[in-house]
Amino acid sequence: MATFVPIKRKRGSKMSANKLQEEIGSLFKNITLKIAKNNRIFILAQKEQILDILSFLKNKGFDHLELISCVDWIKKNQFEIVYILTSYLLEDEKSRIHLILKTRVSRENPEIMSALPIFENAEFYEREIYELFGVNFDGNNRLIPLFLDREYKIPPFRKDFDTREYVKNLYDSILPVEDKNK
Amino acid sequence: MIEERELELFYGPQHLGMVGNFSITLKVEGDTIVEAIANPGYLHRGFEKLMEYRNWIQNFPLVCRINVIEPDSIEMIYAMGVEKLAGIEVPERANYIRSIYLELARVGSHLFGAWAYANMLGFDTAAQWAMYHRDLILDLFEELTGGRVYHIYINPGGVRRDFPKGFKDKIVKTLHAIGGCIPDYDATFFNNALFYKRANGIGKINLETAKKLGAVGQVLRATGMEYDIRKVEPYAAYDKVDFNVPTREDGDAYSRIWIVRDEMIESVHMIFKLLDMMPEGDVWNRTPNPLKWRIPEGEAYVRVESSRGELGLYLVSNGEDKPYRVHFRTPSYTHGLPILEKLLKGANISDVGNIMISLYVIAPEIDR
Amino acid sequence: MDRNQIKKWFKFPAQMGHKYSLWVTYFCTGCGIIEIPPTITARWDAERFGVIPVATPRHANLFLITGYVSVKTLKAIIKSYEMMPDPKYVVGFGSCPINGGMYWDSYNTIKHLDRYIPVDGWIAGCMPRPEAIIIGVTHLWTLIDKGMASGYKKYREKYKYYRENQEKVLGKLEWQPLFPLKESEEVK
Repeated sequence: MATFVPIKRKRGSKMSANKLQEEIGSLFKNITLKIAKNNRIFILAQKEQILDILSFLKNKGFDHLELISCVDWIKKNQFEIVYILTSYLLEDEKSRIHLILKTRVSRENPEIMSALPIFENAEFYEREIYELFGVNFDGNNRLIPLFLDREYKIPPFRKDFDTREYVKNLYDSILPVEDKNK
Repeated sequence: MIEERELELFYGPQHLGMVGNFSITLKVEGDTIVEAIANPGYLHRGFEKLMEYRNWIQNFPLVCRINVIEPDSIEMIYAMGVEKLAGIEVPERANYIRSIYLELARVGSHLFGAWAYANMLGFDTAAQWAMYHRDLILDLFEELTGGRVYHIYINPGGVRRDFPKGFKDKIVKTLHAIGGCIPDYDATFFNNALFYKRANGIGKINLETAKKLGAVGQVLRATGMEYDIRKVEPYAAYDKVDFNVPTREDGDAYSRIWIVRDEMIESVHMIFKLLDMMPEGDVWNRTPNPLKWRIPEGEAYVRVESSRGELGLYLVSNGEDKPYRVHFRTPSYTHGLPILEKLLKGANISDVGNIMISLYVIAPEIDR
Repeated sequence: MDRNQIKKWFKFPAQMGHKYSLWVTYFCTGCGIIEIPPTITARWDAERFGVIPVATPRHANLFLITGYVSVKTLKAIIKSYEMMPDPKYVVGFGSCPINGGMYWDSYNTIKHLDRYIPVDGWIAGCMPRPEAIIIGVTHLWTLIDKGMASGYKKYREKYKYYRENQEKVLGKLEWQPLFPLKESEEVK
């Protein structure tokens, strides 16, 4: 029976959500900040400011990039790219801060700078969004297909791609082998 | 003849290195791997798109098929997301039942992992025992929920039904049967000198690289950092019970599998404590008519600790009766794609399956 | 083994040999990764029925498609199926190969597997229990006795139509046709 090694624990400085909000608000102009309950901070920024905000937050200690996601707001004709950041450091247990950073990109020609220089694990999230939504990430030169095997005219996760109609056109039009001679 | 020493191998979808279909293209020079390119997508069903066509409640049978080994943590996180958006409270007894249910699922999933790893290395005896003990736990699930593998038991607002009569004694009896066999497992597999020689030093990763690449779960705990969502951001009844989080320092395959074994023992102790502390009460706060239920606009991000690491869900609602956007952040995504490609560089070709299984990845979670 | 079987062993020894030792290609496609290990390990031992998983398709004569099939997997399945030696049997597992199952509206999964490779039998369930798998194998024995499990012969005769269907979904296939395409109707 092996023995446990001593558990390494690093205690970060106690950061409150209000103080962080003031700092971000003073450094970056032209953004909207909102604090929801349970210490969730929502930041809405322009797409040119994203890399600066991300590197500022990484230096502050938010070094875990949880997710890069994309939401298709078809009625407003925009894509919304979402970055979710938390921290690995152990703070006071009930006061974990989550940062949800959002930006809007136009739907006709969607393009944004890649977060690869700051976070190394952003590569695969961006590859997936490129394949399924069609958003181009400038600076990520490995945007090769990840999941899909075929070419689709409209990237499949967009709201104007109707998957039920696609299935009806492609799969239901293939006849069983017994019916083929007739 | 020009000596071309580099060979491109396709480590195809049918192999023992991964639970599920997943292939890698390896560029090999002699016996060492120069570059590895991961090739997922064999199990891609487009869940997140399919969920936009179904109601909030109709998505529960669909969503539990993302992680086929342990569907319970995904049900839990989807229910937590819906509760957060709709503002529903969960009664106290339901929290305790949810914790016990999730811990039973964790033990079952770790036994499946023990089967996979022991089978990969050739220790067939321990593998057969692990599968048999997992079947005993599946019998418990069958009595509680009606299904062996997909139990759609957690609803938003609580759980579907209460424990049947005599269920508590059955849980205790089954866990004593499994726990009593741990010395046998130790003697055949975990303390075996051959296992030590085959797994020590393989797939080593240090703390800085693990944090940079987004590691969570056993991969991170094996490098010395104690990071468990049950302690960091407690949910259900985890803040009321006292438990350890096993951590190791070496960061290689040997430490990761030992953490799996220690976690199994911790879960068994936790279930005993929770069973003693469980209060009485009802188990479900009724939700409105599921065919007409509309959830107000908003977005939420919730996390739980599944048996493989931290599972996250980003949920966006538009005010309708269907979700607008669902995005799962699964632990196998960062373990199976960037970390695997990094660990396979410079490894021996006979260790590929070893490294893949020790990262505790399953393929359906990567593709969704 | 009861006395009725002894006559059959003398009359059709090859067929009885095939029946009682169906070796399975260990290819767990979709959700079936959970219910195949319990079937082949200690509790519901499938080896007493002669069913063992083998690593390569060249040694096997039963192909269990356990769960849904996506487009990338279909390529691997067709290649593995064409690698298996005759006589070979295919059994579809779960409700997803039958008509799409739970993912009937997904853009990446194949509905109706028997339009691409010939299937001899289906086992219903989501996932079927290990007892259902074993009952399915015994039903396959009855079909083999009566000569009705002739999927591999159908593949040889109608190869042209199968390949047409495969190419509609997968695009131009990289491997050569297994049987000659033009004369498949004349050669009998």
